[in-house]
Amino acid sequence: MNANLINKENQQINRKKLKTKENSDLYTSLPRLVMRYTILIVVSFVMLYPLLWMIGNSFNADMPSSFSFLPNNWTTEGWQNAFKAPGWGSAEGYSIFRALWNTLSYTIPNTIFTTITCLITAYVVSRFNFKGKKLVFSIIIATLLMPNTIFRIPLYAFWTSKTMSGLWEGSESAIRAYIPLWSGAMFAIDSFSTFMFIQFFRTIPRDLDEAAYIDGANRMQILWHIFVPILKPTIITVALLKFISAFNDYQGPLIYNSSVKTQPLSLVLPQLGVDSINTYSMVYSRAIIAALIPVIVFFIAQKYFMGSDTDSAIKG
Amino acid sequence: MVGEKKWTPYLLLIPWIIGIIVFKIYPFFSSLYSSLFEKIGRTQNFVGFKNYAQIFTSSDMIGGRFINSLQVTAIYVFITVPLILIVSLLIAVVLSKKLKGVGFFRTAFYVPTLLGANVAVILLWRNLFENYGLINQFLKIFGVKPVMWFGTGAGAMTSIILLRVWQFGSTMLIFLGALQNIPETLYEAATMDGAGKVRTFFSVTVPQLTPIILFNGVMRLVESFQVFNGPSLITGGGPNFKTETMNLLIYETAFKMRNLNLGNAMSWVLFVILMIFTLLIFRSSRHWVHYGD
Repeated sequence: MNANLINKENQQINRKKLKTKENSDLYTSLPRLVMRYTILIVVSFVMLYPLLWMIGNSFNADMPSSFSFLPNNWTTEGWQNAFKAPGWGSAEGYSIFRALWNTLSYTIPNTIFTTITCLITAYVVSRFNFKGKKLVFSIIIATLLMPNTIFRIPLYAFWTSKTMSGLWEGSESAIRAYIPLWSGAMFAIDSFSTFMFIQFFRTIPRDLDEAAYIDGANRMQILWHIFVPILKPTIITVALLKFISAFNDYQGPLIYNSSVKTQPLSLVLPQLGVDSINTYSMVYSRAIIAALIPVIVFFIAQKYFMGSDTDSAIKG
Repeated sequence: MVGEKKWTPYLLLIPWIIGIIVFKIYPFFSSLYSSLFEKIGRTQNFVGFKNYAQIFTSSDMIGGRFINSLQVTAIYVFITVPLILIVSLLIAVVLSKKLKGVGFFRTAFYVPTLLGANVAVILLWRNLFENYGLINQFLKIFGVKPVMWFGTGAGAMTSIILLRVWQFGSTMLIFLGALQNIPETLYEAATMDGAGKVRTFFSVTVPQLTPIILFNGVMRLVESFQVFNGPSLITGGGPNFKTETMNLLIYETAFKMRNLNLGNAMSWVLFVILMIFTLLIFRSSRHWVHYGD
C-alpha cells in the first residue's frame, strides 16, 4: 500500500520533471535556440534603434548624418533650451511644460471619466437582468466597429453651435478650452473600454457576487468591494490604454484648438521643425520629453498590465 | 437578482444613454442629413445626392481627389493589415516559447506602440526617411545609393506603412494571450502524429487562433481605414496626393475648405465601404474561423 503510494508519487514527480524539461531551454535544440534569439535580437534592434538614435542625436550639435547613434559633436545645448526656451508660433514665454500641461488637461479627465463610466456600464450589462440588455450590448458592439470619422464633423458642428460654443470656445484655461475633447468621457462613449470590461466581467464566476448579495450588500457595494479589487489589472490596463491614446491624440486638438496659449504637445512639436533657430538637438530633446510621459506611465502601471499575465482581453 | 428595484439598471445606464444619443446616434444621422444639403451663403439648401455625385465625378477637382484617396486608402489598408497580422503573429509565437529574457523582449517590442501616434515619433520618422536619414545611412552600409523616400508615391507610402507596422505591439499582445490558451494536448497530439514545427503551426496554432485573427483583423481594418497622423505629419499627403488618404481629404474638405456638407458625404462613403468590408469578413468567417468546443 505504502510502496504503491510512493511509486505513484514518484511517477508524478517524474512526469513533472519531464514536463519542465520539455519546456526548458535545455531541451530545445541549440540551432533552434540560436534562431529564436537571433529573431528576437534583430527585431529588438529594429524596434529600439531609431529611438536610441534620436536620444543620441539630441546631444549632437551637428546635423545627424551617420548610422551611429553617438553624437560626433557633443552638446547639451538642446536639452538646456528644451527646458527654458520660449515656445512656439507667435507666443512668447511658453516652455514645453506649458504644452505638456495643456495636453494633460484633457488627457487626465478623459482617462478618469472613461474608466469610471465604462466600468459602471459594463457592470450593468454583464451583471443585471433587464429588458433591453441585448440591445444595449448590440449598440456597444456596433459603435465599436464604427469609424470615428463619421461622428467628427457633426460633433464639430454641435460644439461650435451658438448654444455650446460659449462653454469652451476661446477660453484661456486649457481644461475649459478642451471640453469637446474630454466631456464625452463622462458618458461612457468609449465602446472599446466598455467592451474590455465586459469581457473581464465574464471571466468572474457569478457565485461570487450572488453570495455577497445574499449577505445583504447592495449593487454598488458589490462593485466597489468585490469587483474593483479583482479587476484591478483590467482597470489599470483600460486606464493606461485610454491615457496613451488621449495623450497621443493629434486630430482632436487640431480641430478644436483656437489659441496659441492652449496648444498641446501634439500641435506644438510639429511646429518645432528644424530651421535656422531650432537645431536637431533642440527638436529631438523636446520630442523626447513629449514621448517620455507615456513611457513613464507605462512602466509605473506595467506590473498590473494585462500582457504580463496569461489571460487575454478577448477570452470569450 | 431577487427583490431588486426594476429601475436600478436603467438608472445606472443614464450616462451611457445620454452619451450614445448625443455623441453617436445624433451625429450619425446628422451627418447623413447634412450630406444632402449645400450651404449657399448662410442658408442650407436641400440638394439630394448632388454632393455624392460631385465627389465621384472626376472632372471636378474634389472628385478626382476623392477617387484618388479611395485608391490610396485601399493600398494602405491592404498592405498594412495583412502585414501587421503576420508580423505580430510570428513574433508572438517566438515570444510564447519559454526563453530566458522573454519579458525584456516583450516590453521592448511594446515601446513603439506605446509611443504610437505620438507626434514625437512621427517627427523622428520623418527624419529617418530623409535623404540623409538613418534609413539611407543604413542602406549605405550595403552600398545602396540614397533613396528619395518622399520623392515618389511608393517611397512615401512605404514610410507610413512601416510606421504602422513598427507599432505591432497591441496586436502582438492579444495574440500572445490567445497562444497561451491553446491546450498543450493539441501540440502533443500533433507531435505524436509526427508533424513537424511548420506543419504544427499551420494545422494547430493557426486554426486555434482564427477567432483572434478575425478580431485583430477587423480592429486593424477599421483603424487603418481612418489613418490620419502618418500621412498628415510625415508626407502631408504628398507627393502629388499619392498618400492623401480618405480621412486626410475629409479633414481638408471639412476643416480647411470649411465645406462640412461635402465632408459629411465623404465620411458616409467611407462608412459604407468599411461596413461592406466588415460584413464580408464576418460572412466569410463562417468558412475559416474555427470555434473551439
